[in-house]
Amino acid sequence: MTDQLVGAAPVAPPADPEAGAKRTARRRRWRLTGLVILGWLALYGVWEYGSWWFGSRLLPTPYEVLLSAVEIVESGNFLTDFSASVLKTFAGFGVAAAVGAPIGYLMGRYNYWRAFFHDGVTIAGTIPAIVYAVMSLIVFGLSNLGPILAVALVSAPYIALNVAEGIRGVDKSLVTMSEAFGRTPQQIRKEVLIPTIVPYVFAAIRMCFAVAWKVEALTEVFGGRNGVGFQIRTEYQLYDIAAVLAWMFLFIVFMLIIERLVLAKSEARLLSWRPQERSSAL
Amino acid sequence: MAVLTIKNLAKTFNVGTPKASRVLDDISFDVRGGTFVSIVGPSGCGKSTLLNIISGVEEHTSGDISLTSDSGGPARMGYVFQDPRLLPWRSVMKNMMYVQNDRSEETVARARKYLDMVGLAKNADFFPGQLSGGMQQRVGIARAFAVEPDLLLMDEPFSHLDAITARGLRAQLQDIWAQSKKTVVFVTHDVVEAVELSDRIIVLQPGGRIYEDITIDLPRPRRQTDPTVATLQAEVLGRLEAMKTLSRTAAA
Ligand SMILES: Nc1ncnc2c1ncn2[C@@H]1O[C@H](COP(=O)(O)OP(=O)(O)O)[C@@H](O)[C@H]1O
Ligand SMILES: [Mg+2]
Repeated sequence: MTDQLVGAAPVAPPADPEAGAKRTARRRRWRLTGLVILGWLALYGVWEYGSWWFGSRLLPTPYEVLLSAVEIVESGNFLTDFSASVLKTFAGFGVAAAVGAPIGYLMGRYNYWRAFFHDGVTIAGTIPAIVYAVMSLIVFGLSNLGPILAVALVSAPYIALNVAEGIRGVDKSLVTMSEAFGRTPQQIRKEVLIPTIVPYVFAAIRMCFAVAWKVEALTEVFGGRNGVGFQIRTEYQLYDIAAVLAWMFLFIVFMLIIERLVLAKSEARLLSWRPQERSSAL
Repeated sequence: MAVLTIKNLAKTFNVGTPKASRVLDDISFDVRGGTFVSIVGPSGCGKSTLLNIISGVEEHTSGDISLTSDSGGPARMGYVFQDPRLLPWRSVMKNMMYVQNDRSEETVARARKYLDMVGLAKNADFFPGQLSGGMQQRVGIARAFAVEPDLLLMDEPFSHLDAITARGLRAQLQDIWAQSKKTVVFVTHDVVEAVELSDRIIVLQPGGRIYEDITIDLPRPRRQTDPTVATLQAEVLGRLEAMKTLSRTAAA
């Protein structure tokens, strides 16, 4: 993208007072791109050196991992197991939302319930994800329900806390306005309450997602019947380290794509009424 | 016929607690249909509380309020607040429709008509965040008129705007009111504004009692530059000053 911009830019006429600034900005962008490329090259070098040092059985070369990744994608396994993992992650979110949102609503709405849930939810939110992964394995053993439960346990406290925060952020003056115009409680909930908490819920989902898919894969490694984590375990048992790394890298790349593109895009669309988001979209 | 009748109304906040404070005391007046009545008084004398009680958002402690509607059904009310109070996540037109009871073509057309009257027909699809404060307040005014209220309540709708914008909106309000002939109860602390807009001014004194009920019999439209308007404004201002001196000596 940077290249295209630079390539497409016409040579600035000398009269343009901003030409100097533009040139400086362009030069800085080039330098940054160069540094990024250098960083990748360094990483590649360290890896190559590492596989020479340890031997490619222990640490396969980047090329071997790439070949393995191509094979995984071509065999069609990746799509099946990747979608299984993504589905389990979102199912976990569903459970987390079904439990966390009502708790958050009570916490935001009533001081009484806030006092009741507050410490429990806070503690639940600080427990390390690995603990939830182990707990889910103990509860469900080898099953698809383990990863779902792990994701739900990790996410629910965040969702509860953010929904509570959202409810407390509701503009009372909009509620009074609605009442003065004779709006019903259902209308007020739909038009005032929900739109206020949506951004908070989205923030919670984005925050959770980054942790959730790692927990999901981890739980699969130990107790999954399908999914990316399950494949990593299988390849590990076959001692195919190249395939283990290939699965890992593919998973990371595609989850980052979901995180950066799908979630960020739908959030921007839902919140398009916000002045700053709108102006950047125009 | 009286649209609004208030008898011996009183309001005490925090009844039965040490913080109890009487804000309105023995208020009685009625408002005839199609008239523009202002409630004027110094800040903190209970004007907003009175409007909130009339609109039903706030409970009263004692006394009676009755509202009659043209249709015979429950009275419809419109409210214009000090701030615009628009839903930021809805377009201007959706905000107009939010307070409507139906989505019929007729209702949509009426909402458009009032948006047009405040000069914002072109901004129907804008979000509130894309409008200036003055434009947002105009949406608030259009929204209240567009519900065709039996009673339109306005609480210092121009006090947060700069003087020039406020003057423009007052002129616009006069025009819209002249066309729609709604019954309006308009709260302000600004006597000059009250004289320009009203058929009648009810003056509240600190402590929440009615001090004076003044009829303003001036031809419309009224303009700031008209000397008879200016003379009457000066006279009412003088009477209010007298009230302030009186209540200050009473307090001392
Ligand atoms: N919810 C409330 N609880 C207690 N006191 C209140 C409340 N609302 C208003 N008051 C008090 O009532 C008095 C009148 O307030 P208000 O009606 O807003 O005055 P105005 O609109 O004339 O400036 C003020 O002294 C204010 O502090
Ligand atoms: Mg007030």
